[in-house]
Amino acid sequence: MKQIFNWVLTHPKTVVLMLLLTTALAASQMRNLHIETDMDAMLPKHSDAYVNKQVLEERFGSTDLVIVGIINDKKDGIYNTHSLAIIQELTNWMEEQPLFRTLALNDLLSLDTIKDIRGSEAGLDVEQFMDGLPDNQEQIDHIKQRMHAFGVYEDVIVSADGSGTIVAVKPMPNSRSHYAEIYDLVKGKVAEIEARGGSERFFISGRPVIEGVFGAYMPAEMKRMQPIVMALLLLLLYLSFRTPRGVLLPIVVVLMAEIWTLGTMAALGAPIYTITTMLPILILAIGIADAVHFLSRERLLAHHRAYAHRKERMVEVMHELWKPMLMTTVTTGAGFLSMLASDLLPIQDFGMYATIGIVYALLITMLLLPAALMILPEKVKHAERKPLFSGYVEWLGGAVLKHPKRILSFFAILLVISSIGLMRLDVNASLVDQFKPGDPLRQADKLLNEHFSGTTSLDVMIDTGRENGLLEPVFLQHLIDLQEEIEKDPMVGDTGSISEFLQTMNQALHADDPAWHRVPESSDMAAQYLLLYSFSGAPDDFETFITGDYRHAHVRINMKTDETKVVTALLERMQIKTDLWFPADQGFKVEWAGTGFTVSRLSEMIIHGQVASLATSIIAIFLLCWWMFKRLLIAAIAMVPVTLAVTVNYGMMGNVGIPLDIATALTGAMALGIGVDFAIHYLHRYHEESEAGNSYEACVINTNRSVGHAILFNSFVVIGGFLVLLTAALYPQMKLGALIAATMVVCYLATCYLFPVLLGMGKKKIKV
Amino acid sequence: MYKFYLTCLSLTLLIASPVYSAEPTGLEIMQQVDARDDGDDLIQHMKQRLIDRRGNIREREMVSFRKDYGRDSKSITYFLAPSNVRDTALLTWDYDGIEKDDDQWLYLPALKKVRRISSSDRGDYFMGTDFTFEDIKQTPELEDYNWHLTGSEALDSEQVWVVEGEPKTDDLKKNLGYSKTRYYIRKDINMYIRVDYWDRKGKELKHLLSEEITQINGVWTAMRATMTNVQSNHRTEISFSEHQYNTNLSDRVFSERMLKRGYRGN
Repeated sequence: MKQIFNWVLTHPKTVVLMLLLTTALAASQMRNLHIETDMDAMLPKHSDAYVNKQVLEERFGSTDLVIVGIINDKKDGIYNTHSLAIIQELTNWMEEQPLFRTLALNDLLSLDTIKDIRGSEAGLDVEQFMDGLPDNQEQIDHIKQRMHAFGVYEDVIVSADGSGTIVAVKPMPNSRSHYAEIYDLVKGKVAEIEARGGSERFFISGRPVIEGVFGAYMPAEMKRMQPIVMALLLLLLYLSFRTPRGVLLPIVVVLMAEIWTLGTMAALGAPIYTITTMLPILILAIGIADAVHFLSRERLLAHHRAYAHRKERMVEVMHELWKPMLMTTVTTGAGFLSMLASDLLPIQDFGMYATIGIVYALLITMLLLPAALMILPEKVKHAERKPLFSGYVEWLGGAVLKHPKRILSFFAILLVISSIGLMRLDVNASLVDQFKPGDPLRQADKLLNEHFSGTTSLDVMIDTGRENGLLEPVFLQHLIDLQEEIEKDPMVGDTGSISEFLQTMNQALHADDPAWHRVPESSDMAAQYLLLYSFSGAPDDFETFITGDYRHAHVRINMKTDETKVVTALLERMQIKTDLWFPADQGFKVEWAGTGFTVSRLSEMIIHGQVASLATSIIAIFLLCWWMFKRLLIAAIAMVPVTLAVTVNYGMMGNVGIPLDIATALTGAMALGIGVDFAIHYLHRYHEESEAGNSYEACVINTNRSVGHAILFNSFVVIGGFLVLLTAALYPQMKLGALIAATMVVCYLATCYLFPVLLGMGKKKIKV
Repeated sequence: MYKFYLTCLSLTLLIASPVYSAEPTGLEIMQQVDARDDGDDLIQHMKQRLIDRRGNIREREMVSFRKDYGRDSKSITYFLAPSNVRDTALLTWDYDGIEKDDDQWLYLPALKKVRRISSSDRGDYFMGTDFTFEDIKQTPELEDYNWHLTGSEALDSEQVWVVEGEPKTDDLKKNLGYSKTRYYIRKDINMYIRVDYWDRKGKELKHLLSEEITQINGVWTAMRATMTNVQSNHRTEISFSEHQYNTNLSDRVFSERMLKRGYRGN
């Protein structure tokens, strides 16, 4: 090892140049970073939610629509010439946009495109509800009456009370990278219409829009938060070192580590997910610790003038520090790497690249700092000033010895409260809930859910196992039964299937007699009705409901929420029904898909992964501590603060009512990995003090004096860095930031207050 | 040397140009297409193959009768296959121009009733195929388009005129679903063998190919027509067979009674 250190110190310029070149290389890769907002892409490729979604799009086309809601609170709602003209204008405009697919009826749904099926004594009319703009009240009343009578589109396209309507359009296939652009485009058009005045209010939503906004928010957030975290680091570094190099060198280290990490991600083709946008901040906050340790130690030795030559001193610092630094890096890395146990790609990536980042930080610290210090001129006047919090650290040493009972009872109460909260911990993920309540997108979603059938899709695909299978009356009736059963759920707004259309046509062909609003009585009749409809339909008008060979049917469900609790409950209830109506032994196969299903599967995997990664990291870190301290008891004690902190973390989530979701699930393993560093530093020093033959009291006071500072600094950086996330525009970052910060506070308190008390227990005191 | 060639070339063009000034206009060519003899009546078998983007095929077989009444026409189509729609029949009275809506009646054997159905818009798709009602006409309504002759070339070793038609108004573009069409018309028989369509956004939408053109009873006939929607990758192939032109079909063939009676073969 010493040889390497010597080489670094004798070739400082080469080392710095190599580091700069590597950084330039990494920076050049960063152009290739891309952002992934597709929720389905976060699922493992073997997950049924992922597979089924692909099958759904393959068989029935994409169901993800951009939705523009138009609400008019006046008496007639949207049934007036002004509103109808706007609907027509918007529909017309969408038809002309190259970013939208507008080939079939289901590609562009609005009052201006949907068709009414109506029967009379003599025949059948399939015609548009709105054939040109109505110019008198009579025509408007007719549209209103038909919308209600036809039923299929009521609540879907026009709200039941007529106060609102939607225009929904499908983005071009493979245009995911343009979703943000699509949102801006639609916003622009809506703003143009709004500017002309009128009592209509507009709301834009739909999954492409939500994903587009996510995609736009993410890089903006990264750019915005970076300088805040940097400013915080600069401030803390200044308070600690008060020299230009003491402030700038650590900053350069972590910036390099950040660039290297992002460059590695880009080179390996890893996308940026919502969760991985936090990596830069994480690397800044955690990576700085090594540099700070290095500079403090170097300064201390310089102060004592222990070594005649700068190079010798540097070798000593490197030699002293490389082991503990490696250990803390390894334990932190173990915490992050445990995230690989998760099935979810964003969590796996987050864990892996966080580990890579902190390893980079360690490497750069050990190379850049000695090399830079060799190049920079030595300044003798850098006398050590009294650090800022010396008074507090001194007081702490005495205080913990005086009030062991108070401290113990404080932590005991905390533990009890947390344990209660732990029982109440809930799992609930929602895509929309990731936006703040005031966000225009979440507002739009809320209003659309209030007025219409719902913005969250849930899909059932039923394979009848044979060609023409779905034409059978029994099957068609069971589709209706299933729809009725699903619609019993208050959070389900509407369902749609081919059966509904066939019922309506049956009625229309029987002189519009409501008694005939039922499924066709024979398979041939159903086939003939579909042929009849096709006389005026596009080739893929019914593509969303059936496949061309009449084998696969699709039931579309619109839900008013994407909360996983609701969806999971519905899925469980439906399982019994589908087993009964579409039994597998008769060749049927029922599969679920859609946003609701994806979110529900995501949350299942979150819990599963959560348990797995927590367990892995606890065991891994425990084993590492055991190996490091060589004693089981000490390893167990080392685990106390982090275990306590994690318990408090999840307990408080339960108490406050924050559910586990993709962001909050990460906090456990992360806090474990970061927090254990405090314990390792503390116990290391305590061990050395104790080896030196000091009494229990002296050990506590000395330990506090020497590492109390570094731990305090680390806590400040990590807590402060994560608190910056509170300014984020999206909830996941905010929640994660707040939770980690809070957990770190507990970790700090447990290390500096609880440790000495625990170590002082028993007659003989625990020997470390 | 170069200059010399150029001079020669321009001289040749100068001499040659008067010959091309006799070129017909786009409209004149389309009028000739419209005036082409396609028989006074026709019986033919049709096989439709609807092929979706995944390559799944749906087949239908029909037999159809058509008779011209001046510029109007009447037709009746019986479905022969698949078996679940056999004997479904459609009677259409097609009126020239756009003033009067076409009349359509349908017979569904499962219901055993004749139903009058509302006429479709010109831009509506025909029987769930990739053809719209406008596309299946012998020629589009000529007065609705501005026609331009854009060139003359060889296509599949045939000399063709290339004529582009643009719907005259935005309303027409919306109704038809097209912003432009381009016809490749065989000079020798005034029949188009390829048509390209552009949607309202100006993007390529469909291609129609008429193939295996032969003369039957003195009438030039395409035995196969393929319409491909390049945006949805959906395709419709129609093959025609057993043509019988000018058999002097009786007017009674195109009646509600015959619609119900079904096709008995002959």
